[in-house]
Amino acid sequence: MGKIKSLLGNWRIWIYLVFFVITLLAINPNPFIEGVTIRTVASNSSAFNAGMSSPSPSDAPMSRERIEKINNIPVKSVEEFEKIISNFPKNTTLTIKTSESTYSLLFTSKEKLGLSVYEAPKSNIILGLDLQGGTRVVLQPEKKLSTDDMGILLDNMKRRIDVFGLTDTVVRSSSDLTGNQFIIIEVAGANEEEVKDLLAKQGKFEAKIGNETTFLGGKDITYVCRTAECSGIDPQQGCQKYAEGYACAFRFSISLSKAAAERQANITNNLGVSYNQYGEGYLDKPLDLYLDDVLVDSLQISSELKGSASTDISISGSGAGRDRSAAIKDAQQNMKQLQTVLITGSLPVKLDIIKTDNLSPSLGKEFLANAILISFLSIIAVTLVVIIRYRRVKIAIPIITIITSEILLILGVAALLKQNLDIAGIAGIIVAIGTGVDDQIVITDEILGHETEKDSKYLSWKQKIKKAFFIVFAAYFATIAAMTPLLFAGAGLLKGFAVTTIIGVTNGVFITRPAFAEMMRALIEEK
Amino acid sequence: MYRLSVSIIFINRTLFPRILVKLGSKKSESGNRVKDFYIKEYKKLFLIPLILFLISGAILFNTYNKTGEAIRRDVSLKGGISVTINLGYDDMPGLEKFLFDKFPDSSIHLRTIGSTNNVAGIIIEASDIDEDALIDAIKEKITLTKNNYSVETMGSSLGDSFFKQMFVAVLLAFVSMGVVFQIYFKNIYATLAALFSAFMDIFITLGIMDILGVRLTAGGIAAYLMLIGYSIDTSILISTKLLKDRTDEISKAIFGAMKTGFTMSAAGIAATGVSFLLTNNTTLKQIMLILIVGLIIDLLTTWIGNVAFLRYYLEKKHGQN
Repeated sequence: MGKIKSLLGNWRIWIYLVFFVITLLAINPNPFIEGVTIRTVASNSSAFNAGMSSPSPSDAPMSRERIEKINNIPVKSVEEFEKIISNFPKNTTLTIKTSESTYSLLFTSKEKLGLSVYEAPKSNIILGLDLQGGTRVVLQPEKKLSTDDMGILLDNMKRRIDVFGLTDTVVRSSSDLTGNQFIIIEVAGANEEEVKDLLAKQGKFEAKIGNETTFLGGKDITYVCRTAECSGIDPQQGCQKYAEGYACAFRFSISLSKAAAERQANITNNLGVSYNQYGEGYLDKPLDLYLDDVLVDSLQISSELKGSASTDISISGSGAGRDRSAAIKDAQQNMKQLQTVLITGSLPVKLDIIKTDNLSPSLGKEFLANAILISFLSIIAVTLVVIIRYRRVKIAIPIITIITSEILLILGVAALLKQNLDIAGIAGIIVAIGTGVDDQIVITDEILGHETEKDSKYLSWKQKIKKAFFIVFAAYFATIAAMTPLLFAGAGLLKGFAVTTIIGVTNGVFITRPAFAEMMRALIEEK
Repeated sequence: MYRLSVSIIFINRTLFPRILVKLGSKKSESGNRVKDFYIKEYKKLFLIPLILFLISGAILFNTYNKTGEAIRRDVSLKGGISVTINLGYDDMPGLEKFLFDKFPDSSIHLRTIGSTNNVAGIIIEASDIDEDALIDAIKEKITLTKNNYSVETMGSSLGDSFFKQMFVAVLLAFVSMGVVFQIYFKNIYATLAALFSAFMDIFITLGIMDILGVRLTAGGIAAYLMLIGYSIDTSILISTKLLKDRTDEISKAIFGAMKTGFTMSAAGIAATGVSFLLTNNTTLKQIMLILIVGLIIDLLTTWIGNVAFLRYYLEKKHGQN
């Protein structure tokens, strides 16, 4: 009892305890949490109109809005959510109770509802893509960008992703030791292979009649219709079978700005009119649509439009596939991409895809479960070595306490810094723990070793600890020195490893190692 | 390919405690003889890490002659596609032949997760190949759903520059650790000895990895960085004991430090050994394998190599022994 009392009178122990509590608060674990957390609320969907919104990427996982009940039926998993929504009768009222509020809305269809959800997280630890599944695309600009241009580029890409309808997406720039610039986009949870085409497009959209530009994507276009009434598979052309498969046509309408409409009127005014076999009149030159300098479509202009400043234009295009449904899907995908670039305009520079990862969520889950198991067994293995070496079970107690709390401390600081925990990060934790154990062995040996030596009487407790911490700090600085280059190298792909290692060893020397020395003192002095 | 290394761990996990106990127990005759030899013949013993170092150099040189590069890299450092499939499959040779025939111009490697008899997953690495074509071909043999496989592609330019930068990162780590060491000990001889023993450790481990047929991944480079850290840790320990706070005769100081150092390595090998045997992730598996081998080699490079340097230095300087 007196031992614990003397420990509690020590400030080093207090710092350790305070940090431990902060860590637990930061991680905020709750293994009993149920329900599904909202990943995305599509804009203009029924959920959106009822007042629900997508979480911001900066929200901590545990503070995101969670769906608890739908019409009083508890929702415990994504499967249950899908089941409830799929079996729901159309045109009835849906009451969604979430962790924050209750929403009522008219349910028309699953698509219209616009909700995508994922299993409610059980703590604030943000898992990296390789542990939770998702898509990562690394792009490299063709030429070097200034900080301002990079900002414009990132904003535009974020807007593109938003318009396209993906959230829980991180867009950031990165660089490497030689100053190469990279843009990294991570879409969590889902396998969204189709985004990579969208992201890599510069999206320079140009409409030309002859050699003259009539309008450009972005600023010249005031409205792009995306509702079913004026966009979708073209009902007149539909799908056609070819030798290789099917091709389907899509169309959607857009509105031009006044200036662009007048420009078009001026250009068409100078064109001649010709008539086809049915007596329909068309202008001599078609309206050519270019996306990234590639001709995507050529539209005949009706003779009625000659010289008129019409602001409404119908854009069309097509998609192909092995069978009819694949062709429809492809056409819809192409339409969505074209609509997105028309709304968001073009990027200031061309981008090359240099790395793509599609990571399976189920694989990630297995890795995570396995990582927890091996951490646990590694601690046991280290404990056995310590017990065999010192022949005293008692010495193992502070060592295990410290190792376990060090893992929690790393996770807590990572959660506070909103640093993703990926597989490289787990490796970093293992290294930090290894270094921690090494330090503890050094401290233990300094304390116990001098006990048996003749000169131990002349060494005070402080001197022993000073000797041990000389080694501990040298090792600390050496580790930091080794890890720092990794923070900046190679597009930051191993950053997770360096960050967790640095967090771990820093926690170690400043928080847990001093506390460990005190615990050892309490254990030894008692004798 | 991993089986050999597994047995290494087992030997060491059982041997280690015994060595430790021996060092700690009352001196037995044979124990004394080993200790006497270790203390007296340290220059002869230095031949052990030196010969391993030279053999490793020969192995890496041979690989360089055969492949044009001394270190064989996987797609994460070279560019290419890696497909991880989360399913068991019982006809690996069939799958291998199918893919080789289908893509004769590409370089394709197949690996399995789990044991030979119980394949839990498949990893297919390929370069000079189209991603969609590869996935379509695999689909002819294995049912892939949206959820049961991962595809990672690395552009060859990024892979190459990543490898070069990691190389630079390792060099920088060496230099900055040397600076830290020099500031701490203010003894250029001790600093160079520590750096050289860390370098020997990495170099010999690279050679052993080459023999085991392990291709270096991005995660593997992280493991080598860690290894430098661990190796420097033990060097700091021995340098402190021999140069900074020596009150005892040199053999006592060495054996005292060795007891601590061996416990540190044993703890490290135990933790990485367990992780190596049980992990289902190939990145972690490679990191752990490199660490296990490296920690074992570090025992030689530190307690024979580094100690020999320091003793030679002390002898020359003070005539101490």
